[in-house]
Amino acid sequence: MGTQARTPSRQARQAREARAARQARAEALRRTRRRHRNLGVAGGVVIVALLAAIAFVLVDAAGGDDAPAPPAAQSTAAPAGATATGAIVTGTGPVTVTIYLDYLCPYCGRFERANSGDLERLVAAGTVRLELHPLAFLDRASQGTRYSTRTANAVATVADRSPAKVLAFSAALFEQQPAEGGPGLTDQRIAAIATGAGVPADVAASFTERRFERWVATSTDWAFQHGGVTGTPTVLVNGKVFEGDLYTAGPLAAAVAATA
Amino acid sequence: MTALERARRLRHSNGWIYGTMLVSAVLSLIASFVLSVDAVRLAADPAADLTCNINAVLSCGTVGRSWQAQLFGFPNAFFGLIAEPVVITVAVASLGGVRFPRWFMLAAQVVYTLGVGFAYWLFYQSSYVIGALCPWCLLVTVSTTLVFATLTHVNLRDGHLPLPRRAGPALRAAIDADLDAVAVTIWLLVLALLVVVKYGSALVA
Repeated sequence: MGTQARTPSRQARQAREARAARQARAEALRRTRRRHRNLGVAGGVVIVALLAAIAFVLVDAAGGDDAPAPPAAQSTAAPAGATATGAIVTGTGPVTVTIYLDYLCPYCGRFERANSGDLERLVAAGTVRLELHPLAFLDRASQGTRYSTRTANAVATVADRSPAKVLAFSAALFEQQPAEGGPGLTDQRIAAIATGAGVPADVAASFTERRFERWVATSTDWAFQHGGVTGTPTVLVNGKVFEGDLYTAGPLAAAVAATA
Repeated sequence: MTALERARRLRHSNGWIYGTMLVSAVLSLIASFVLSVDAVRLAADPAADLTCNINAVLSCGTVGRSWQAQLFGFPNAFFGLIAEPVVITVAVASLGGVRFPRWFMLAAQVVYTLGVGFAYWLFYQSSYVIGALCPWCLLVTVSTTLVFATLTHVNLRDGHLPLPRRAGPALRAAIDADLDAVAVTIWLLVLALLVVVKYGSALVA
């Protein structure tokens, strides 16, 4: 009797427990689903925010390039003494050495550090007439600060107003060359390098007038479209491309000596 | 069955997962091959292309000449030539119905996780230390991420990973809710954002 009386209640309890367990499982599942849905929505918001950020950065970057250049940059004036092909000339020697370079180009830096001493000596000795083509095609590798254009303009400005200091300034720029892909150096830093190389302070202060930027752009286009230049550094001795080792001191000076 | 359900079912099917793995691994292999050829050419003639070429897309080739490009004494791209054909084989065999044993998939997961870590170390080095963007390297980064994502997806789905007792079912439920797709999308978009923040001006100029 006692067991019979307990049985229905035990069954009922088991049924209740089973139902409760089922409900608990269902509740847990609902909670998980809700959590997943919320996470999915949050993820969607993050995705939209990221897309917006990417679009914003790209539009911002594109807009930066469209900013109008200041009026001074519209001047197409060439620095005094420049050739029609866009070269800055130093020296009057019988051997013409032509160098196409970009102040951001790491290999131009290596070339310059290996050879600038020899070249300065040969120019001073009256052996070499040095034609320097400062190009600006690596602007895109200085995070939008147009380091190549700014330095080429600075060198052109020195050629225009303080030509005796061009080689010293050019060598100093390469000695403190910033890394490709970084922001380059500030205008103030470039001016400081110039004065450190003996350029008068008023000339260095006038770099920011950007007087020769148009000339630099035109010269760069000319070099690649008509000058047969495909990269930098490109070095010519009396109009013939120098094929020797550009990155150790000696071979270029020897080639000049052989030509003279 | 709604279109959404069909899309979900497709996304969790072997065809889609291993297909994505196959395509990503092939892209990775192509990029590794190009980078290896460049590295060999550079090694054969150190003077080759020691210039800033007007046509070079984003750099002067400085990435290829860095010490990071040869961390183990040979070009990193060789790893891609070794590893990606294995991934391609696994993907093709799985598409053909082969099921690999648990230890095999587990080993693949461990090795590929190391590979992803390496790929991201290289991404960091080239972007923030060397400061030059290398498009082929970026393709390796993206496709390696996709292979990793698909391999992890399949290994979680099939319970191949030794996880704490509760984590396995929880992660499987999250995958069922497609949270993995959300996570991978966010991951790739963060990568894209890092690239455009660093190189936006160079890319659109």
